[in-house]
Amino acid sequence: MATGVEEHVIVHVHDGVGLIRLNRPERMNAIGALTRKQLGEAIKQAERDDAVRVVVLTGTGRAFCSGADVTEMVTEGGGGMRTPEDVGNVLRNEYMPMLTRLRTMPKPVIAAMNGPAAGIGASYALACDIRIATPEAYLLEAFVNIGLAPDGGVSWLLPRMAGTGVAYEMFFTGQPLSAIDAHRLGLINRVVPADQLEAEVRELANHLVTQPRQAMAAAKRAVNHALESSYEEALEFESYLQEAQAWSPEFAEGVQKFLARRSQK
Amino acid sequence: MGYEQILVAVEAPIAIVTLNRPKVLNALSPELIGEVNQALRELDMDERVRAVVLTGGAKVFAAGADIGDMAERTAVEQLSRDQTGRWAGIAAFTKPLIGAVNGYALGGGCELALMCDMIIAGDSARFGQPEINLGIIPGAGGTQRWPRTAGKYAAMEAVLTGTAITAARAKELGIANKVVPAEMTIEVAKRIARQLAEKAPLALRMAKEAVLNAFDSPLAEGLVAERKSFYFLFSTEDQKEGMRAFLEKRKAVFKGR
Repeated sequence: MATGVEEHVIVHVHDGVGLIRLNRPERMNAIGALTRKQLGEAIKQAERDDAVRVVVLTGTGRAFCSGADVTEMVTEGGGGMRTPEDVGNVLRNEYMPMLTRLRTMPKPVIAAMNGPAAGIGASYALACDIRIATPEAYLLEAFVNIGLAPDGGVSWLLPRMAGTGVAYEMFFTGQPLSAIDAHRLGLINRVVPADQLEAEVRELANHLVTQPRQAMAAAKRAVNHALESSYEEALEFESYLQEAQAWSPEFAEGVQKFLARRSQK
Repeated sequence: MGYEQILVAVEAPIAIVTLNRPKVLNALSPELIGEVNQALRELDMDERVRAVVLTGGAKVFAAGADIGDMAERTAVEQLSRDQTGRWAGIAAFTKPLIGAVNGYALGGGCELALMCDMIIAGDSARFGQPEINLGIIPGAGGTQRWPRTAGKYAAMEAVLTGTAITAARAKELGIANKVVPAEMTIEVAKRIARQLAEKAPLALRMAKEAVLNAFDSPLAEGLVAERKSFYFLFSTEDQKEGMRAFLEKRKAVFKGR
């Protein structure tokens, strides 16, 4: 990134893990126009970069992401979100491609929830494939608190992940759902103490780096296809995906390793 | 005959025609269309072949016509080259034509796909008519085959906005028969072609003709034509074979007679 430009998003690629870190701790990692631009670029790059096999999304400081920068919605010259139409356009033209990319890129995406995820921040956390959070983290569908409706895909994701009851309660009350409760409901995979979050996420990410990448990509394709099709269509799609996977060196190697392990026992 | 812009592989009882200009995303030059036309004419005559797969390969079906070639042409030039007229032979193909579509099928590429009898779409497939963005309209059947397939409103959306649709949406609109993982698209299309190749060739031909006739004629005429073909097929050896095999609980072997 060019010097002199604020780094709202920091990207670090190491040993197959692409870390994308929202970096506006003084604003609880709120997403403004510049953040959107940098985050969109970082996510696109993470998808394209063959050296990145697993993506981790996290935030600097106390928050994961406090949502859209509301000050930019009302102030002149902020982020170009001054009219209602701008609000819609930003969702359609900027957030939509980014969030879709997270959910469909052919590699695992882990949200390391170092703190609260509110509004569009929760949308990002929920668009990731796996979530690991600290006990201080929470999910907050804050939209209703400023008279807005849910966005960033949560109207689709939350009812599927936790049922309509949980989704509506969050959308109607605008109250936070703690990491502990979210874990109980299956929205968060694991809750670990803050000082262990980084190690826990790193361990999982490192493990996934060693997993067969095409097989993981296929799993993601199958799930995304299944979420929009009937049971029978999903079975058929799986059968073809499995056939393609059965041609892969990953399968040949996997079977060999399996048999070798067995003969050792 | 030898082809330069397509590959033709006969794997009796089927054949696979592959658009082969990967460097330009299989842009549809008049030559390429001419070759597809010629290949299908030959395959129509080839008795070893009972069904054909048409594909652009693993990555892209065909991303439209050669814009560089068309940009400065006049109406008269376009007319005299009869670029779109070269497509007539493709529509006249009498055997089942299965489209295997991966990646972009845009403009002429989409129109070519819509000339197939069935379409197997890879999950990477995108269908669209972007001509409107260039100040023209589809010229190889797009404005006619879209509404006949997907209905007026979906057709208007495609042709007026120029926005491409996903494989899943194409399935929803009835343009794609199936959505499969992209690496399996051609294989699945070949299997369907082989499955069709086991059926009575004359019946396949009459069935295809009758269904296509539904788009061109009033119901009463279509029904008359259908009935005539139905009766006609009772004069074929394959009808006798088919019904006897059914009664004898064995698999029919059809000869196309």
